Amino acid sequence: MTPSSSSVLQVEGLGHRYGTSTVLRDVSFAVAPGEVVAVVGPSGAGKTTLFRCITRLIEADHGSVRVGGRDLAALRGRELRLARRDVGLIFQQYNLVRRRSALGNVLLGRLAHLPAWRALLQRPGPDESALARSCLDQVGLGRYAGARADRLSGGQQQRVAIARALAQRSRLVLADEPVASLDPASAAGVLQALGTVARDHGIAVVCSLHQVELIAGFADRVIGLRAGEVVRDGPASTFGPGDRTAVYGPAPATIRTPA
Amino acid sequence: MTDTAAETRDDPAVGASAPGGLADTGEPSTGPRLPRARQATVALVLVVGFALCVRLAQVDLRALLEGLPEMAGWIGRSWPPSTQGLDLLALRAAETVAIAVVGTTLAMVAALVACVPAARNLTPARLLRVPVRWLLNACRGIDSFVFALLFVAAVGLGPFAGVLGVAFHTFGSMGKLFAETIEGMPRGPLEAAELTGAGRVRVVTWALLPDAAPGLVSVALYMLEFNIRASVVLGVVGAGGIGQQLKNAIDLLHFPRLLTIIVIILAMVTAVDQLSARLRARLA
Repeated sequence: MTPSSSSVLQVEGLGHRYGTSTVLRDVSFAVAPGEVVAVVGPSGAGKTTLFRCITRLIEADHGSVRVGGRDLAALRGRELRLARRDVGLIFQQYNLVRRRSALGNVLLGRLAHLPAWRALLQRPGPDESALARSCLDQVGLGRYAGARADRLSGGQQQRVAIARALAQRSRLVLADEPVASLDPASAAGVLQALGTVARDHGIAVVCSLHQVELIAGFADRVIGLRAGEVVRDGPASTFGPGDRTAVYGPAPATIRTPA
Repeated sequence: MTDTAAETRDDPAVGASAPGGLADTGEPSTGPRLPRARQATVALVLVVGFALCVRLAQVDLRALLEGLPEMAGWIGRSWPPSTQGLDLLALRAAETVAIAVVGTTLAMVAALVACVPAARNLTPARLLRVPVRWLLNACRGIDSFVFALLFVAAVGLGPFAGVLGVAFHTFGSMGKLFAETIEGMPRGPLEAAELTGAGRVRVVTWALLPDAAPGLVSVALYMLEFNIRASVVLGVVGAGGIGQQLKNAIDLLHFPRLLTIIVIILAMVTAVDQLSARLRARLA
């Protein structure tokens, strides 16, 4: 993919060092609107650091991150806050407010858009509530709207998190290892929900995964990260054994799995 | 997640080192071990220090032995407890509860504001955290009793001086405990809310308060229990409540009345402790 002004996300020459070890080295890629990108790589390849650099939870040492054409690294305070509204985030640990209802958590995605008095009085109003409710419906959790978040299963909690990101009405969703804590069935369900809402709304998704098996039927494109460098970037349909070796290194013969 | 991961990683190490330390194998497993000469020195310092404290505190066993029969006599003379003026005692007891309730509530409002800059994960500026912590520690370091003495001089005798005394001291303790409760909250939900682009006030009220509420309410109830006990003695310095009656009864050596007052205090404190314990158990 060639970087262009129509990209939703454009990462260029991103580098980050932690002490003496290089975590990210000259990482560049661009994501087109509606594109679903899986970032794969072994533990420690720099996937989480990449995501945290993009959202500026940590500062990159080199390079730039453009979201919708705006350079995030140049923004401070209020401007950075406004820019972050345009990026939905999904975390490995769901990060829901445990004692809030599923609907209440989805409404967090609308928090920055509420008028001040509605935010303070915790009264989101009918429009925002209806929007949040429809987001919950889209991840198949409409009937759990009133359930407390910590009473839901892991897979359900992650789908609430997807609905929360969806409620932000952003064009880009970043998901850092969204299914790493889930059993295989729940993981497949969560990725399917994420892929469906992304395609229905034309939302671009960048999602890191450490299980390559999950990219089939989910991602359009696979970026392979190894030791902080992009070693593979191409369509998901062409991801073969050679790519697998490039990303993960040669698999031990005894536990080799079909690619 | 990172916390639990770290714990599980540390567990085997702790399990392995504890028996080693107990068996005294000489391994520096449970922390640096002092050489024997140092151990003896530390023991000597502790013993001499304690002896000095006993001396300073003027501990006098003979005085206690001579005084005990007299106290026993008081107990005999206090039976049956006085039932005179019970309505006044009830009013003063209610006043004590009121001092604690109003003082704790005022302190809670102020502490809720102060805990935001005092908590490491919420403070808008690290530099602001230092003076706020100082203020909280100063208020915590001065007892309600001492504050009440000052306020009796400032606003006159009566329960309002007690309310102010309780409020100022409790502000310090509660602000510190609130801040610690908030610092113990998981980082994730706050981060998720912040990254939706919402401002600090919104993030705190939507993503932090719901999860922190049980802990904060528990702290507030604990402080209320504590303040009921603290308010009892405030009357001694003229800051209202049943303590004033207690002091009068002792001054007049009116033992039956003293017994009645002590029973009322015990009943009051026990009732509030029970109620508070029950409420706190339901918060979990």
